[in-house]
Amino acid sequence: MKRLIQLTVNGQAHDLVVTPVGTLLDVLRDDLGLTGAKRGCDLGACGACTVILDGRPVNSCLTLAVEADGSDVATIEGVAAPGRLHPVQEAFAVHGAVQCGFCTPGMVLVTKSLLDECPEPEDRQIREALSGNLCRCTGYVKVLDAVRAAARRLRAREGVR
Amino acid sequence: MAPNPSRKRQSRRGAAQSGMSLSMENGIHYHLPETVSEAVGLLARHGAAARALAGGTDLVPALKLGILGARHLVSLRRVPGLRDIALDGDRDVVIGALATLRAVATSPLVEHACAALAEAAGRTGSPLLRNRGTLGGNVCLDTRCWYFNQSEAWRASRDRCQKAGGARCHVNERENRCVALFSADTPAALMVAGARVELAGPSGMRWIGIEALYSGEGRAPLALAPGEIVTRIRIPKPLAGWRTAYVKHAVRESIDFPILGVAAGVELAPDGTIHAARVAVTGARSAPVRLPEVENAVGGRRLADVGDGDLARIATRALGPLFLSDAVPHKRLLAGLMTVDALARAAGEDSGRRRS
Repeated sequence: MKRLIQLTVNGQAHDLVVTPVGTLLDVLRDDLGLTGAKRGCDLGACGACTVILDGRPVNSCLTLAVEADGSDVATIEGVAAPGRLHPVQEAFAVHGAVQCGFCTPGMVLVTKSLLDECPEPEDRQIREALSGNLCRCTGYVKVLDAVRAAARRLRAREGVR
Repeated sequence: MAPNPSRKRQSRRGAAQSGMSLSMENGIHYHLPETVSEAVGLLARHGAAARALAGGTDLVPALKLGILGARHLVSLRRVPGLRDIALDGDRDVVIGALATLRAVATSPLVEHACAALAEAAGRTGSPLLRNRGTLGGNVCLDTRCWYFNQSEAWRASRDRCQKAGGARCHVNERENRCVALFSADTPAALMVAGARVELAGPSGMRWIGIEALYSGEGRAPLALAPGEIVTRIRIPKPLAGWRTAYVKHAVRESIDFPILGVAAGVELAPDGTIHAARVAVTGARSAPVRLPEVENAVGGRRLADVGDGDLARIATRALGPLFLSDAVPHKRLLAGLMTVDALARAAGEDSGRRRS
């Protein structure tokens, strides 16, 4: 039996009809056309489907859409204005932390979530935060460089304000 | 009919868009009760066809693989109060079954009551999984097996195993008894803490010791009456000098279920004598298990006076036969080493030892 749910995605409210077994990832990609969250392993092991659900990064492939009813969802499409890059995205590009790009949306969202909560993370905390996001191309050294750079950049920006 | 994963490759939209067949989608009913009694009523009414849904991080993969064996999902997210972590008076810490593993891992109350539990929760899955996964869900985790947690196509290549309702166990062929492994991290720590769990069912509430929650059966690891769910977990106030630790070994540290997890607790005198100890292992059998032989071996002595080698051998022997490991001798060795490590860390005598 289908159900009506309400989701706020990147600030915009949507009324959606979903099946009991449809995941949040299905709804984002297939109903809303937001394909930034990727379907990787589809079993919660790779982190490519990461979105921010009510303030915390989660695997959208393991979150049933019906369970997200009434929630606030932030996806990679919403982190910066169209045509602009979020400082975390910019740092990933500048530091070559992107190769095929499949894991990148998840990594950027996890990084943004980490830096929102902890602007000056130690390497240990960065590794821990990213430990649910697998990359099969670049390795993780450049990703760590990018996260450190993004943290510096965001702190500097905060300082200017 | 369970889903056929290969269909997902053929069609990007439609029936297989979520990796599930149409029959599966149509056959699943979702319930959203607002109270515990409503929830257990639904679970009792639908019996074996119903499953309680907490964070979904274990249930949804099972649904996708077609191994859930349930058509009614009873979500607990609207039931009030199940996410709280609170002190009961000034004594026990009471944790709602729907508290996320992240909340448990970062709670100062939990850290104070049982450091091993905070550690085990903080090492369950990845940070992403811990933001959804719950303590109740982890405590009630289904057992896993190489021959069960597989796609329909994979499983179709041989007889259904016992856990899937068939007659044979493909692992333990000699005894033909399901030996699917229990692999949740937190129950080992909860056993060491002497935790009790509150069960709600059609005939009311009851509290049982955490050890009584487990049947030891691979096929159905929880000893719950029909319709019963775990609603709260109670950690007794620790005795003075009581210290705990959790040690985990997994293929990938960042995300995997444990190959083995060992929790230890010791009641330590100022001179380092262990008055009493508790040791529990997860990942070895179809239930988390205490190792009384080890507990007795260290009781009344200082850890330094019990040789590490002897202790490790006692732990290995206590574990009995092991299944579902690429290298059983290695796992047996590991169990001994990890038991020593866990006790040493609990007793604060871990300098120079592995930190894993």
